Amino acid sequence: MNLRRRLAAEWLAIGLFATCLLVASLFWRGTAAFDHLLYDQLSAAQRPPADNDILIVAIDDTSLTALGKWPWDREIHARLLSKLQQKKPRAIAFDILLSEPGAPDSDQRLAAALSAGPAPVYIPLHFNTPGSNGRDYDTILPVPAFTQAAAGVGHVNIQFDDDGIVRRTTLCFTPDKGGKTWPHLITGLFQGKDPSFPKAGCAEPLLIPYTARGSFSEISYADILNSEVPDELVRGKNIIIGATAAGMGDNFPTPNGEGGMLAGVEVMANVLAASRRNDFIRPLPDPWTYALTLAPMWLLMFGFLRFRPRVVLMISLLSLAGILLLSIALLFGRLWFPPGTALLGILLVYPLWGWRRLQAMSVFMDSELRGLEQSGEVRPLPIPTNQTTDLVGRQSEALASAIDHMRDLRRFVSDTLADLPDPMFVTDPEDRVTLTNKLLNESLDKDISGWRLTDALDLMVIPDQRPMVDLYIAQSHAKGQEYVRFASPAEKTFVMRRSEVRSDSGILHGHIHYLTDITALAKAERDREEVLQLLSHDMRAPQSSIIALLDGPVDADARKRIERNARRTIQLAQDFVDIARMGETEFAGEDVLLADLVREASDSLWPLARERGISFAIRDTSDSAFVLAEPESLHRAICNLVDNAIKFSPADAAIGIDIGRHDETHIIVTISDSGDGIDADLLPNLFTRFASTGNHSGRVKGVGLGLAFVHAVITRHNGTVWASNGDNGGARFSFTLPIA
Amino acid sequence: MRVVIADDEADVVAFLKSIVEELGHIAVSFADGNKLSQALMRETFDLVILDWNIPGKDGIDLLKWMQASLPEHPPVIMMTNRSAKKDISDALNAGADDYITKPEDRSVVAARINAMLRRNAGAGAFDAEAVYGKYHLNRLDQTVTLHGETITMTAKEFELADLFFRNADRTLSRNYIMETIWRTNAVLATRTLDMHISRVRAKLDLQPENGFRIFTVFGYGYRLETITTSN
Repeated sequence: MNLRRRLAAEWLAIGLFATCLLVASLFWRGTAAFDHLLYDQLSAAQRPPADNDILIVAIDDTSLTALGKWPWDREIHARLLSKLQQKKPRAIAFDILLSEPGAPDSDQRLAAALSAGPAPVYIPLHFNTPGSNGRDYDTILPVPAFTQAAAGVGHVNIQFDDDGIVRRTTLCFTPDKGGKTWPHLITGLFQGKDPSFPKAGCAEPLLIPYTARGSFSEISYADILNSEVPDELVRGKNIIIGATAAGMGDNFPTPNGEGGMLAGVEVMANVLAASRRNDFIRPLPDPWTYALTLAPMWLLMFGFLRFRPRVVLMISLLSLAGILLLSIALLFGRLWFPPGTALLGILLVYPLWGWRRLQAMSVFMDSELRGLEQSGEVRPLPIPTNQTTDLVGRQSEALASAIDHMRDLRRFVSDTLADLPDPMFVTDPEDRVTLTNKLLNESLDKDISGWRLTDALDLMVIPDQRPMVDLYIAQSHAKGQEYVRFASPAEKTFVMRRSEVRSDSGILHGHIHYLTDITALAKAERDREEVLQLLSHDMRAPQSSIIALLDGPVDADARKRIERNARRTIQLAQDFVDIARMGETEFAGEDVLLADLVREASDSLWPLARERGISFAIRDTSDSAFVLAEPESLHRAICNLVDNAIKFSPADAAIGIDIGRHDETHIIVTISDSGDGIDADLLPNLFTRFASTGNHSGRVKGVGLGLAFVHAVITRHNGTVWASNGDNGGARFSFTLPIA
Repeated sequence: MRVVIADDEADVVAFLKSIVEELGHIAVSFADGNKLSQALMRETFDLVILDWNIPGKDGIDLLKWMQASLPEHPPVIMMTNRSAKKDISDALNAGADDYITKPEDRSVVAARINAMLRRNAGAGAFDAEAVYGKYHLNRLDQTVTLHGETITMTAKEFELADLFFRNADRTLSRNYIMETIWRTNAVLATRTLDMHISRVRAKLDLQPENGFRIFTVFGYGYRLETITTSN
């Protein structure tokens, strides 16, 4: 399986899994314990100051001792209220349930006290749950007399969190859907009768910012009754009357309880204080909570795709810190974002991804290594023997050794390419040269790496043959043509084979071009052609002439012509053998006095010249210069030139043979006749082999291999030979040789 | 004199035979190397014209056999189609006294046969004056006269010219020439001999026009050839 796709799938799976997990965790408050703990710690660090305008009148153990067992006669409460009213408090919350009627006159007196003033007195109602007749709640109002007497009625619901700790409250409560909404008992105390009640959103839960435990002023119920409290302590205060005695069952665990319980009245005092300060902490709305929880996780997930593992680790740590900081910052803004699940998300995906990725890598490496092993490489993969590390460690070692192996292999391949006996180069699918070998560079005298194929071919192929080569490259595979043969500007002949390189999966990686230098082969081919030409024409022609001559009367003239033809054949055979031999043997020169060699050559042709009354005019200004020569072949070459001159000279003419110094280091020999000269268009190719075998007439006809032989010999002697037409119109053949 | 013609080609044998007989000698022909060697052991001949590729025994092998087995063997002229320098020098170094490359002109062949027979007959007297064609040699004052003009030469040049004229049409090895003229076995700088020959050639104007030419046998030596103008 493709590693990239596998990793993408793993990534997506992790992302979705983590998302589901986090949503579930948020929904079921999976991290509540942590969040509560964190909240408690954070809120403990920023406790609001005590509110001195709040006074708790506590029904404490002292009061119980002084006034007897609970419940007390309501006449006592009436007395307390009137005592309090005398001290002019601001308002009073009477947090004692008054839902059942008591002794009639006591109730009457209490009702009177409730309404006596001047401070308004608020009394609680409560709810039974589950309610009767399938309702969630039954609203239990105080006795109607009290309800009417009190300034207001409010609920005193206590909300427990999952861990049984009281952290929140709601400022209004609607027991039945669509039914009456009740304010909190404190609401009245805080703001009196509010005509706009209920306010929208008053039912949302609010987290209570607790003050330090015991920070509210508290006076014993009994002390008030006994008039032991100075009026100033009570005047203008918000009074909350309620039970604090341990046995009264009105104590709750709270974050600031420091392990102990907080009395209901104290919780209520905190709610009042928060209301007065207006600093309730609101839970972050759910959509925001979900967003803030999932965002860091997905951020990290995308980070996995984008960054290197070390960076990702940094991101993870920063995310954790960021989430915590965000939570703290929000808390300062009186918003509570429980960060537990978000932290969980980060802590979850980081190792999860690490694990899955490692797993995917492991599987991938395993399959790749296996594939590599099975691909039949040149050498088997070395198997790591170290068993002390884990699976991935071993795979890494295997991979490392495979990479070493590949490096060796690459080296091996490039060395092999470099030392291939033939030039080659590789192109990519865009026909750009990517690889060349030493031989190609040497034969082109250039490194064509990076060139476009067409430019490279410009360098290798003569322009005439480019279309043919281009056609091969375009169609080679379609037509099954195996190779193309072309000549290079450097006068070499190459055969080029182009073959495709495809990967295992069939993707075209480029082409390999093998060049084979068949210059020698091509030359041999040409030579063979020439031999056939020689045998089929040049050798036959004189023989045919002889046969034709024998057909007529064999007189003196015929004999002469027969002899000439026969000699021509021998000469041709001799020239041919000599040229062939010259190509096979090393040059082995000896000191030769060139002027004498030239004289002997003319001497040997004297009979021929004499027949036609031709004479030689030899001018020697060479000052006995020696040349390093193969005397035999050089002699014959000069003979050929002289012979040529005799052949094309008119009767009784003189042939000039000049031997002189060409320059400091070269001697020059010029043989000039007074014939018709050489056709200008023949001059360039005069010395190529078998130039005479074409359909030329006149001058060149019948020369045979003579001039080719001359050229071969002079070239072999490091000399230069050329032909021109002299001032008198006759032909001039000159050659130079280095002086020995 | 008796001349052996050892060749298996009837045309060549007839050609040579006519030359030998024209020169007034007796020609005996063999077409087989083995028969020739048997005959050479029994009879006396004055010259052997030996083809390189004679059936039965190779020409060079026959030469070597003669060197080894016949103390008083007659001189040998090798006949060959081969004209490569190495082949010729091989033959001469194996003991052949001269060689002829086929095809060769009748007059040349005749001259070479004559020279060989003359040498064998002990020719080459040392008269005070000698005439060779257009050249008059005066051995006393060491001068040569051509067309009535006296050509002055150094002692060595004259000796060299004299050696060539006396041995006209005979191939002389470089060593032979140097031993004879310079009387030394020491290897003379090759250029010295070449220069002397060049000077003799130039001073005496030895060219076909004057009836002679100096011919270099590459890798072996020199030969002064007489030019016989036919017709």
